[in-house]
Amino acid sequence: MRKWTGALIALVVIITALIIGFFYSQGSADLRGQDRQPLAFSHQRHAGQLQINCLFCHRGANVSTAASVPPVYICMTCHRALKEQTPETQKLLTYWNNKEPIPWIRLQRLPDFVRFTHEMHLAAGFKCTECHGQVAQMTSTPRAATFEMGWCISCHQRNGASKDCFTCHY
Amino acid sequence: MDLKRRDFLKVLGVTAAGSLLPGCAGETKKLIPYVIPDEEIIPGVADWYASVCRECDAGCGILVRVMEGRAKKVEGNPAHPVNRGKLCAKGQASLQGLYNPDRIQEPLQREGARGEGRFRPISWEDGISRWVSTLEKYPGGAVMISRPVPGTLSRLFSTFMKEISGRLLFYDPSGEGTLQAANRRSFGVDRFPEYDIANATYLLSFGTPFLSDWLSPVHYGLAYGEMRQGRPAVRGRFVQIEPRLSMTAASADRWVPLRPGTEGLLALGIGQVILKEGRVRLAQGDRSRFEKLYGTVSLDQIAAKTEVPREEIIRLAREFSEAAAPLAIGGGTASSQTNGTNTLMAVNALNLLVGNLGESGGIRFIEPLQGFPAAAATPVSDQALLNLKDSFKNKKRSLLMLYQSNPLYTLPPSTHFGEVFDQAAFTVSFSSFMDESTAMADLILPDHFFLEAWGDFLSDGGTPAAGLGQPVVIPRNNTRPVGDLFLSAAKRIGGNIEKQLPWTDFRTMLEDQWKTFLAREVPGQPFEIAWIERLQQGGWWKPEQRLISVSRRPLPESIESAQFEGDEKQFPFYLTLFESMGLQRGEGANRPWLQELPDPATTVVWGSWVEINPRTARQYGIQEREIVRVISPYGEVEAPVIFFPGNRPDLISMPLGQGHTAYGRYAKGRGVNPVILLAPLVDRDSGTLAMGATRVRIERTGRRGKPVLVDQTGEGTRRSPEGRRRSET
Ligand code: SF4
Repeated sequence: MRKWTGALIALVVIITALIIGFFYSQGSADLRGQDRQPLAFSHQRHAGQLQINCLFCHRGANVSTAASVPPVYICMTCHRALKEQTPETQKLLTYWNNKEPIPWIRLQRLPDFVRFTHEMHLAAGFKCTECHGQVAQMTSTPRAATFEMGWCISCHQRNGASKDCFTCHY
Repeated sequence: MDLKRRDFLKVLGVTAAGSLLPGCAGETKKLIPYVIPDEEIIPGVADWYASVCRECDAGCGILVRVMEGRAKKVEGNPAHPVNRGKLCAKGQASLQGLYNPDRIQEPLQREGARGEGRFRPISWEDGISRWVSTLEKYPGGAVMISRPVPGTLSRLFSTFMKEISGRLLFYDPSGEGTLQAANRRSFGVDRFPEYDIANATYLLSFGTPFLSDWLSPVHYGLAYGEMRQGRPAVRGRFVQIEPRLSMTAASADRWVPLRPGTEGLLALGIGQVILKEGRVRLAQGDRSRFEKLYGTVSLDQIAAKTEVPREEIIRLAREFSEAAAPLAIGGGTASSQTNGTNTLMAVNALNLLVGNLGESGGIRFIEPLQGFPAAAATPVSDQALLNLKDSFKNKKRSLLMLYQSNPLYTLPPSTHFGEVFDQAAFTVSFSSFMDESTAMADLILPDHFFLEAWGDFLSDGGTPAAGLGQPVVIPRNNTRPVGDLFLSAAKRIGGNIEKQLPWTDFRTMLEDQWKTFLAREVPGQPFEIAWIERLQQGGWWKPEQRLISVSRRPLPESIESAQFEGDEKQFPFYLTLFESMGLQRGEGANRPWLQELPDPATTVVWGSWVEINPRTARQYGIQEREIVRVISPYGEVEAPVIFFPGNRPDLISMPLGQGHTAYGRYAKGRGVNPVILLAPLVDRDSGTLAMGATRVRIERTGRRGKPVLVDQTGEGTRRSPEGRRRSET
C-alpha cells in the first residue's frame, strides 16, 4: 500500500514535469514555428521560381550582423503591382493597408552570449545556402542546421578559421 | 512513505531536463519588420552621433551610439579638446536621464493648492497661451532662473528677457563664484584660467576637489594623469590641503589637514617663508607690496591658528618655491567659507610670488573663442537669488520662470528662499523632471532631454571650444525644446521682440549663429558643407591656443578670518558637506547608475551617512552604523555613522545630493539633505553661499542604521551588520 503511494506520487510528479516541459519547449518554436507564421510565405516561390536574390529581401546580411527581415514596403514593391491575389497575399495587403508590421515568428536565434555576424561570413565568400540549406526548394523554412557551438566549430576547423573563444564570445 | 531521496532526485532530474529545453517565455520570439524602411538605419549597425554632454557645466564632447533609432551608449569624443575621448560617470549615466521613467511627459497645469503635487495634463496650445498671457499680464515683472547655458540658448534667453524687461539670472549652485571673484580681483579677468596641471611639477591644492567635481573634472583628471605619468623624467608632486580627506586628497602625496577656514592664513604663512628665504621671482618694485601683505601675521600665530606645525609650513614653502614649475590652486572647501574670495586671492598671491602667470605649468589665460554670436552666461551669486525676495515683495516681479535649476533644494531653508515662490503670482517651469522647485510651479512646459534636441555650448577657460549638439534620437515624449517655446512666445507677443527673434524654431536660429561664425572662420567654404563637418566633429575648436597676458592686480590687504555660525560650546564641530562624483548637488540622484556608484572612500551607495573620526566617536560612545542626529542652529538631520579616519576629530562631514522630497522614484525619500543644517551666511566679496560656515553638534539616537556598503574585503558583494552577525553565529 505505502509502496504504491510512493510510486503514484513519483508518477504524478513525472507527468506534471513532462506536461510543463512540453509547453515550455513550445516557446522555442523551432520546428513548429513555420506553421504558425502569420502568413504562409514560401521561399521556394520567391527564391526558387522567381529567382530573387537573397540580399534583395535580407538587405542587412552583407552590411550588418543581422540579416534582417524585409520591411513590408519591400514586399509591396512587387505585390503592389500584382493583379491576382491569393488569400495569403490578401493578408499581406491587409497588413500594408493598416500600416502594420507583420509579426513573423522567429526561427533562428543564437543566445545572447554568442556574437555572430552575417556580414563577416558573406565577406569571406560563403553562400547563404551553406548554412541555411537549399531554401530555394523549401516551401516552409525549417532550420537547416543546429547552429550550436559544435557545428560552428567544425566549420571553423574545416575552413581554418579562428577557434579563439573571443572570436564569438565577447 | 517509501519515496526515497534517491527516487525523488530522479524525479527532480526529469523536471530539470524539462527546463533545459531552449526558449523561455520572456525571449524575443517575434521578428517585427519595419513597415517602411528608414533610409539611414541598417538593423544591427550602430550610428555614432557627436554631441555635447550637458550633465554638468564642463561641456565635454560626446559620441552617442545609436542603434535602430535608440541611444545605447555614450562615450567621450576623442577629438574634443575638453575631455579628449574620456567621460565621467555622469556622462555615462546620461542615458538614464533620457530613458528615465519619471520624466515629465507632457505639459502640466497645477490642480489644487501650490505644492500639493497634483497636476493635470493640458495641451501645448493651452500651455503656451497661458504662459504668454501671464507674460503680458505682468509687463516687466518676469524673472527667470536658469542654469548657465553658454551658447545660442543663452543669447535667446538674454534677448527675450531684455525685450520683455525681465531679469535673467544664471544660477550655478556649485559655488564657483568665489573663484571667479578672486580671479577678477587678482588678475582683472572675468573668466576662468587654464590651470596647467599637466605641466606643473609641484601642485599645491587648497581644498580643490579637481579630481571629482571642480570646474571640469574630466579635463583636470586628464591633466593630473599627465602630471604624474605623462613625462619620462618627472613625476609631479601633489599636496592637498583640506580638513577632510576627499577623494582628491586621497590621491595626493601628502595631505595637510588644517583647521577649516584658515586656508588663506596658511597661504600667507607659506608666502611669508618664501619671501623671507628669498626664492621669489618678482618684478622690481613689486617686493614691497608683498612684504606688506606677508608682514601682517607672525609664523607662530599662523601655525597656532591653522594647526599646521611651523616646520610643515616651512617645508611646504621650500618645496613650492624650489620646484621647477610650482602651481597653487584653491577652491572647494577653501572657498566655501565666509572668507572664500579672500582665501583664494591669497592662493593666487602665491602664484604671483613664484611668477608662474602665463608660464607652462602655471596659471594661463587662454584667448576665448572670438566671434561666436552668443551671449555669455555669467552665473550670478547665491546672494543675487536671495535678493529676489525683496523685489518680489513689492509685486513688481510677479512671474517666476525656472529652467533646469532647483533652488528650493540647493539653497538652505534658513535663507527662506521659498518666499520667492510664495510671492510670485505665477511660476512656470521648463524642467524635464519633477524636482522640488518644479513641484511648486503653476505650469510645467517640459523641455526635450539634451539628447533629443539641438544645442551648442561654449567652453570657456582652459579650452575655448564651441561644442555642437544634435538630436540623436526621436523625442520620446510629448515635450518641446525650450528654445522653440521662447521663439514662439516672441512671435505671439509680437512687436520689437519678434523683430529681435525672427526665427521660426531654435534649429534655424542655431544654424544662423553658426553660419555667421563659420563664414568668418572658414571663409569660402559653403555653409552646408562646413555645417555637416561641424556636426560630425561635434563642434569647432582650434588646435593651437593663444595666451592673453593679464596684469597683476592688487594683493589682498590682509587675510580675513572665517566666520562661523553656532556657539563653539554648544556646537563643537565644524561641518563639511561634500559633493559626490555622481550625485553632484542632487542633480544625479534620479539616475540609478549614479546612486549605486560607491563613494570612493566609504563605499556607501544609495543613501546618506555621517562621517566621524573614530576617535571622536569613541569619546561619544558611538558605534559604527548607529544613527546619529546632526544638529545645527538651523535644523537637524539623522543618518548612520561611518567611521572615517580622514576627518579631523573636530569635523563632521556629510555628502550632498540625497534627501529629495520630489525628483522621481529613485531619488525620493532616500537619505537626507544636509543643506537643511546650513546657516544663511555668504562670502562677503562674492555673495556665494558659505557652505562650511555652520557649526554642529551630534546626539545619539540609540537606533541602528543600515547603510549599504559595497564590500571591499572580498567577503561578498555587500555587507551589513546583520549579515555578519548571522555568519558568526
Ligand atoms: S564632466 Fe562629466 S558630466 Fe560634466 S560634461 Fe564632462 S562628461 Fe558630462
